[in-house]
Amino acid sequence: MAAYKRQFYPGTTSPAKARRRYMDPKVKLKNLRDVSMDDVVRIMGHRNPGEDYRSIHPPIEEGKEPECPIRKLVAPIEGAKHGDRVRYIQFTDSVYFAPISPYQRAWMYLSRYRGVDTGTLSGRQIIEMRERDLEVLAKEMIDNETFDPALTGIRGATVHGHACRLDEHGLMFDGWQRYIWDDDKKEVIYVKDQVAIPLDRKISVGKPASMNDLKKRTTIFRADGVDMRDDKEVTKYGIRIHYMRTLGGYQPFNVKDM
Amino acid sequence: MVKKPAAEYAGIPLPEVEVFSNVLLGAETTEKVLNALDGIEHIRQINMTGESISKTIGSGPAKGLPNEHTERKVIKVGGRDVELCYLVGAFYIELDVENADMLDSVVVTIDKACKKTMPKGYTIGVGRFNKFRDSAHDYRND
Repeated sequence: MAAYKRQFYPGTTSPAKARRRYMDPKVKLKNLRDVSMDDVVRIMGHRNPGEDYRSIHPPIEEGKEPECPIRKLVAPIEGAKHGDRVRYIQFTDSVYFAPISPYQRAWMYLSRYRGVDTGTLSGRQIIEMRERDLEVLAKEMIDNETFDPALTGIRGATVHGHACRLDEHGLMFDGWQRYIWDDDKKEVIYVKDQVAIPLDRKISVGKPASMNDLKKRTTIFRADGVDMRDDKEVTKYGIRIHYMRTLGGYQPFNVKDM
Repeated sequence: MVKKPAAEYAGIPLPEVEVFSNVLLGAETTEKVLNALDGIEHIRQINMTGESISKTIGSGPAKGLPNEHTERKVIKVGGRDVELCYLVGAFYIELDVENADMLDSVVVTIDKACKKTMPKGYTIGVGRFNKFRDSAHDYRND
């Protein structure tokens, strides 16, 4: 019997293709900028660059783990091996054609990485991981095409803004102004870390993409962009899920093998 | 508690012009718009609304630190100081007019003023958006 081949996501329109692209671990996402690891660590604000990682339990190699067949089967990630703390980074994506949206972030993380604990809400998407691995993941997420300096925010608290109108410079609203627009260089600069503690030095995350470009690679279905109702397969898939859930709760005996 | 508007309640529903901006306006642009609207006759009061900018950071590890937001400042409108605590999204301009012709001419003047000062665009409409007489809420608070 052939092994199950993942199909990831239905649909033929550009947001559906973008969703498949982000979810498929074989697709390598492009890097649009290079923010240094030290700067990423400063923005996250959990430790100072150069500091040692704090640990919450002794390294696994010391052998104090109890006997367990599952522990033998699962290979620990680097952070787990050293006993790191679990820390977080939280992204907010604007509804105005941000490259990716919270639920697709969750699918992407779980599809591509191990050792991830992710939480999805309408306005924000948080990812908790062992500190060492989180930093690698955070750098990748900030460097690659899922991050747009103007429409994606790295916000640990008070995330309000994903559904607000953009401001005059095209940036997503942030009540605590963690990032500002540099009119000379036309770049977005982080002046505070993700919980709004002011940074010692400003960190540039580069130029935002144009709205035309974003509209082509967004994963968001919008009435003024690509409407979900225009993509028949995605609509069918959504309706089927709701139908089966309702029928399964109401008349489970009527759920035939469909 | 809801802030009371600038002028006393009119008691009758005077027309209000809603200028709804396409983008959230910063302090500088708001200043330009308000100064452009300053000289227009028959305007009784202008209420603004938008996304609030707090004075201090309210939660998290930075709680209590001052929120140094570049758009939260005092602007000068027609010689008076106005403290902005919002990124302005819409203006509600209450007009003291007697008939439809006066209303139309004032709306045209407002439109001209906004076109000059709001380059990113806006939608303009006339209606009634705020309270014009005391309600049970005001009675309770007094």
